[in-house]
Amino acid sequence: MSNILIVAETQNGAIRECSYELVTLAQSLGGTVKSLVIGSGVGDLASQFAGKGGGETFVADDAAFANYSVDAWNKAIRAGVEASGADVVLISNTPQGWDVAPRIAAGLDVAFVSDCFNAEDQGGKLVCFRRVFNGKLDAQVTCGAGKAVLTVQPGSKEPFSGSGDGSTTALSVDLSGVRSKFVEIKQAESTGIDLTKADVVVSGGRGVGDPEKFPEVILPLANALGGAMGASRPVVDAGWLPHAHQVGSSGQVVTPKLYIACGISGAIQHLVGMKNSNYIIAINKDKDAPIFEVANLGVVGDLFEIVPALTAAVKAAKG
Amino acid sequence: MKVMVCLKQVPHQDAKLDINSDGTWIQEDNIKFEINSYDTYALEEALRIKDADADTEVVVVSIGPDRVTQALRTALGMGADRAVHVNDAEAFGSDALCVAKVLAAVAKAESPDLIFTGLMTDDGNSSAVPPMLAELIDVPSATGVLHTEAANGSLKVERELEGGAIEVVELPKPCLASIQTGANQVRYASLKGIMQAKKKPIDVKTAADLGVSDVASKATIDKVYSPPKNATADILSGSTDEIVSGLMGKIKELGVL
Ligand SMILES: Cc1cc2nc3c(=O)[nH]c(=O)nc-3n(C[C@H](O)[C@H](O)[C@H](O)COP(=O)(O)OP(=O)(O)OC[C@H]3O[C@@H](n4cnc5c(N)ncnc54)[C@H](O)[C@@H]3O)c2cc1C
Repeated sequence: MSNILIVAETQNGAIRECSYELVTLAQSLGGTVKSLVIGSGVGDLASQFAGKGGGETFVADDAAFANYSVDAWNKAIRAGVEASGADVVLISNTPQGWDVAPRIAAGLDVAFVSDCFNAEDQGGKLVCFRRVFNGKLDAQVTCGAGKAVLTVQPGSKEPFSGSGDGSTTALSVDLSGVRSKFVEIKQAESTGIDLTKADVVVSGGRGVGDPEKFPEVILPLANALGGAMGASRPVVDAGWLPHAHQVGSSGQVVTPKLYIACGISGAIQHLVGMKNSNYIIAINKDKDAPIFEVANLGVVGDLFEIVPALTAAVKAAKG
Repeated sequence: MKVMVCLKQVPHQDAKLDINSDGTWIQEDNIKFEINSYDTYALEEALRIKDADADTEVVVVSIGPDRVTQALRTALGMGADRAVHVNDAEAFGSDALCVAKVLAAVAKAESPDLIFTGLMTDDGNSSAVPPMLAELIDVPSATGVLHTEAANGSLKVERELEGGAIEVVELPKPCLASIQTGANQVRYASLKGIMQAKKKPIDVKTAADLGVSDVASKATIDKVYSPPKNATADILSGSTDEIVSGLMGKIKELGVL
């Protein structure tokens, strides 16, 4: 791949780790790596990134970039693509990335592949790998001739930790006609249930099937083990449990001594919330469920048979 | 006010996923389909605007084969006013950008004030079409929206960020919002609604009817396959008693009792 442009992302005054993961991917694709940093007062961050694998780094530095706006970012990235002569644009699949990246591809009328966990140069062709069907299958996608825009799944590569030659170049962006207006960020409200402090988290997913089954089946096991009850997102979306119980990328990230996943398939957004638990037990009737890949111990079976029997055994053992 | 809602009919979330004979997608014969979960929230968000203001027209648009009629009937039964069905084999076999081009042609013909879509689909998981559609018709967009509030000439939206944080954004109309699951509680079609839906129009079109000629994909799926297993759990087998004693052994060892 001749020219790659990394769109780095800043958060709380630093370059995000996932931007360094893009460096690793870009280097594996070969070719010249250039980068773009967008923000207000981000000159130092850009120099830092340039010297840590970002290569020639364009800096779109303007008070108007103090907060994210899809229109402003669209214009900045388009200017960066133009200035860098990039053939491939890499953007992390974060709430910012997935908001703006497809607009870049549509505006340029080029190939777009989202949420890749890997990409390879195969004889000059850009071949991408991504999950489909919420993690149940993988797909291999090949981009046709011309430019391509890729979003990349955070965590799919090791962040680049070396150094390299780099310099920064100011990029001027015409910001006329920006329509989307940032109003404010509201932080998550704390709700009293802190799953992160529990030694044991017993979580139920869509497989639990019914709101009544949470107090009947999942909660008794959590209580018997002196732990807390967690849930996957569809359970919360359906209004079966409050958001405070949600584990995952848009819920809480937990690392208990023991995590028990019942009727949870193991989509990436759930896994990022629990895969660093000390020990994971998964109970799922589908032997191919991705949850078994992160679990230490698994039961392929009906949670309605296993969980109540386990609850009884725990109670008996405690006497 | 006119609200256009884009929805896709996808394999049911509990359907058995077998790979088709050329290995490029799943076998779609003889499985159940449903409206993409994200899109049901988008439709509900539009219907709430109509509930508050009866002058609102909600138009649902879907690209897909004959079976899609069923999804559109469901949407009409829930309260949408009319439907556009792009039934064109080339358009629904193509990549996100082509899908967005077809939807952009529909949007240009309809000129809605608001476009609501789901954040992504349960099959392709791309979340690409909504921002692409917005770019092609040159309107502002916001993705992963949990709350919308229409006010004088603009739409205020709450976007979901990581860890439950929310970003509030204001978009002048016309604009597009892709809706995240959990944004609302989705209604069911009532019996009365289903009866009324039978009389509501479904306008069937091809890509050519819409003036879209370029439906060649720029990114093509070579194959789909079961993810290679990097690591896998030790699986306990046997009777329920045996399994439970295996689990208990581990739980005791972990010292969490
Ligand atoms: C931006 C974004 C953020 C997200 N954030 C989160 C998040 O924070 N947390 C989260 O969890 N998800 C999140 N998701 C959703 C995620 O992609 C998945 O859709 C979700 O995790 C699936 O939940 P599930 O495993 O409960 O449901 P499914 O994937 O439907 O799995 C249900 C499982 O139950 C099993 N099952 C059914 N019946 C039984 C039975 N009787 N016994 C045993 N097993 C049974 C089935 O085999 C299946 O594997 C997010 C998605 C997006 C796009």
